[in-house]
Amino acid sequence: MEAGALGNPVLRARRSLTDRIGDPLLRGLSGLAAALAVAAMVGIVYEVIQIASPAISAFGIGFVTTNDWNPVTENFGAAPFLYGTAVTSAIALLLAAPLSIAISIYLTELAPARLRRPVATLVDMLAAIPTVILGLWGILVLGPVMHDTIEPALQSAFGFLPIFSGDPSAFGYLTAALILTIMITPIITSVTREVFETVPSDLKEGAYALGATRWEMVREVVLPYSRAGIVGASILGLGRAIGEAIAVAQVIGGATAINVSLFHTGGTMAAQIASQFQGAPGALQKPSLAYLGLILLVFAVVVNVIARLIVQRGKLKDSDTTLTEAEAL
Amino acid sequence: MKAPSGHALLLDRGNLKRRKRVNRVIEVTSTIAALLAVAVLLIVVGSVLLKGLGALSLHFLTTPTGLFGDTSGGISNAIVGSAIMVGLAAVMAIPVGLLVAIYTTEFASPRFGHAVRFVLDILNGVPTIITGIFVFGLMVEGNKQSGFAASVALAIIMLPIVARTAQEVLTLVPANLKEAAHALGIAHWRSTVRITIPTAAGGLLTGALLAVARVAGETAPLILLSSIYGQGVLTEPGEALASIPIFIFQSSESPSPDAHTQAWAAALVLIAFVLVLNVVARAFYARSRKRMGA
Amino acid sequence: MTKRLLTVSVALALAVAVAACGSSSSDSSGGSSSSPLVGAGSTLVAPLMSKWQSDYASKSEETVTYGAIGSGGGIDQITSRSVDFGASDAPLTPEQFEEADGVEQIPWALSGTVPAYNVSGAPSDLKLSGEVLASIYLGEITQWDDPAIAKLNSGASLPSTKITPVYRSDGSGDTYAFTNYLSTVSPDFKSKVGTSTTVKFPTGVGAEKNDGVAAAVSQTDGAIGYVGLAYALSNELSMPLVENSAGEFPEPSVKSVEAAADAVKTIGKDNSISLADLPASAKGAYPISTYTYVIVPLESEKAEALKKFISYAISPAGQEFGPDLDFAPLPKQVVAAGKAAIGQIGS
Repeated sequence: MEAGALGNPVLRARRSLTDRIGDPLLRGLSGLAAALAVAAMVGIVYEVIQIASPAISAFGIGFVTTNDWNPVTENFGAAPFLYGTAVTSAIALLLAAPLSIAISIYLTELAPARLRRPVATLVDMLAAIPTVILGLWGILVLGPVMHDTIEPALQSAFGFLPIFSGDPSAFGYLTAALILTIMITPIITSVTREVFETVPSDLKEGAYALGATRWEMVREVVLPYSRAGIVGASILGLGRAIGEAIAVAQVIGGATAINVSLFHTGGTMAAQIASQFQGAPGALQKPSLAYLGLILLVFAVVVNVIARLIVQRGKLKDSDTTLTEAEAL
Repeated sequence: MKAPSGHALLLDRGNLKRRKRVNRVIEVTSTIAALLAVAVLLIVVGSVLLKGLGALSLHFLTTPTGLFGDTSGGISNAIVGSAIMVGLAAVMAIPVGLLVAIYTTEFASPRFGHAVRFVLDILNGVPTIITGIFVFGLMVEGNKQSGFAASVALAIIMLPIVARTAQEVLTLVPANLKEAAHALGIAHWRSTVRITIPTAAGGLLTGALLAVARVAGETAPLILLSSIYGQGVLTEPGEALASIPIFIFQSSESPSPDAHTQAWAAALVLIAFVLVLNVVARAFYARSRKRMGA
Repeated sequence: MTKRLLTVSVALALAVAVAACGSSSSDSSGGSSSSPLVGAGSTLVAPLMSKWQSDYASKSEETVTYGAIGSGGGIDQITSRSVDFGASDAPLTPEQFEEADGVEQIPWALSGTVPAYNVSGAPSDLKLSGEVLASIYLGEITQWDDPAIAKLNSGASLPSTKITPVYRSDGSGDTYAFTNYLSTVSPDFKSKVGTSTTVKFPTGVGAEKNDGVAAAVSQTDGAIGYVGLAYALSNELSMPLVENSAGEFPEPSVKSVEAAADAVKTIGKDNSISLADLPASAKGAYPISTYTYVIVPLESEKAEALKKFISYAISPAGQEFGPDLDFAPLPKQVVAAGKAAIGQIGS
């Protein structure tokens, strides 16, 4: 049909007319769309700064280190939430990264071939669970278990550590950190697994030929080969943990002070915005929340840039596509 | 592949027994880790099933949420509201995302294409609550909350997912197909619309479905943009609309066990929708990759 | 054919998207008279509001949308005019009035904020005083068998359970009523914490909304929190008896709230009425009673609809739902002041 149409000179002339419009039109439309995407990013930065500006001019850079959130005196600072974000994300990363590596080792080296795909799919499905449902689960299932079992056990074993002092509580830093762990483990896993799969099999076979055990092979071949991918994936997971608002707001308890005990209630930047932005009267409270948002945005951008740079420097082929794809899938 | 442990002595390192033991420990640990991840999934989904199934009924799906504190209603208003907001977001984000992908793969210079990809990646990493603040400042402040504002925020969240998966798929379209089209003198736009896109259709659909699945459960921006809504089933996007995630969020913070049961049932509806979309998307993805020989 | 369809739909969708991102005015024209009144704020008034909504809709065929987002949110939303009316249990401060520019507040319901506790092994009629409550929330009393509590409950056995004070983490009129009361009875509390819709408590656990506090209290042994009277009763939380200025320990109820309202005759110029500082002559008066207010712009497109709805709310037809939901009816002089204030609303 195509060829027939081409052969007909009349149709050909008509076609070239539409082509003369079609090419620039598609080019223009798609260029406009790309510009729109860039504009959205610029708009986000601009608007957040705009809303935050009264707080930026009132508190300056000292906002970052001010350990206070007092609506009565209208004195606001980010320190309690920076602390909460740092603590919860760090714990989540410390737990999720090794877990993800172990799962990936299982999925690429140990699992029977028939199990690999189903298990990998199940792990990926975990990433698809909406965070509000993880939060619901955190409030009603995990919270009571934390209070009754996990935290008392930690306390009896490591009670001498200040981070395990105080009374067990269903809501707090530790509960939030565990929810974040559940959230980011599948994200990190899907990337590390893909990276592990790219390790050339002749390298692996070489190690085996030298008499390495499976673990020695993994340690000497797979891990070094995938280092960049693992680090990049972990940082990407960190970015997700830092930015999660809802599930954390549901389980962290909403305190506005720094507490050493992980059992204690606290707050993170994202969760604080989620729970207070709508009901923040006064001239400075909403701008201060937007200021928190600005800090969070800077964190998120930096973390993402670093993650992608690391991965791109590494050996992961098709690196930058694989990351987003793996995240999405 | 089995480790040829018979040759282990060739590696002159420690004694074989210890090495085997370490190996065994790691293997068991990895297996446990994988089991743990699967177990957590089963526990979460199991909790939702176990606690939500009892409250799930035709009545629950077809009745709007009751007035304050009344848990005899259902979530029909939330289902309709979510459908409208996610639908609008998809209508905005999917074509734009596809166009962005076409631009970067077909028209842009490699450097500029890379820059756009980079911006998309950053946009993908922006916490959704921040996107909420952006749209709040843009459309809601000094105005009213609206379902439309919420759908714009959801569209912004969808955009990088759609665009990046589309790019990925479009680059997989065999170059010889495009070259053949060019050789026949077919215009670039025509070959894009009639050859590249149809070839990549399965993969493009995957990205779109995944993006929809992702934003269907998105809660944070909706709190700022569409959480003060009226009773009954509302369909006017100019007003704030109910949604399943907000329903779950609000019910989860209630002290009433009845409200918790409703939250579980709503979670079951949401999780079923999201997981089904994911499974379908995966199927399309696998098929389309196979078709393009990747 | 398909390609043309595709191109057209793509162009259309893009146009929609551009319009969406480029302009914020596309949906601001929704101010037509048929659109519902939108209000937001106080969670305390929410149960009563839900009755008003359904009854008013059946009587006038006009719908009212209400978001129980907390009093702080109500003040914030009306200040930015994101809603047609705000609702707050805390009267606006002079600064808030200035910021909100051209609004007035009208008391439209009367209830109480009550402490609620969950302590296994403690008596069900635990007695507390304002000073003790203040010390608990200042972190000075940390155990349920503290001598100060024991003194008020002579003869009762008290467990040594640690006290977990629970407070509202969002902007809340209950926090206002509670801290207003504690600041009245305890100078120490006034200087260290103060009165507002959100304050910085030196100790305790934060929870969102009345629901969140009620949930946190009922899930934590040793917890004490404060919630709207209606929430405490409907969630069957144990309420301690709080000493009033007459030296009695009245049960929190519609009757004792009414007694408190009857003891205060003065209405502020801004229509605010504080029930925190009751005279010793107020027999049977519940000490943490509070009015809750609707905040309306003096000028708005929906002035007529607002006038009609608020008139309904403070009329006997609206107030009659109160007692079942643990709201006391408004005293006559407050209704009169409310009617006068409604007259001020214009378009």
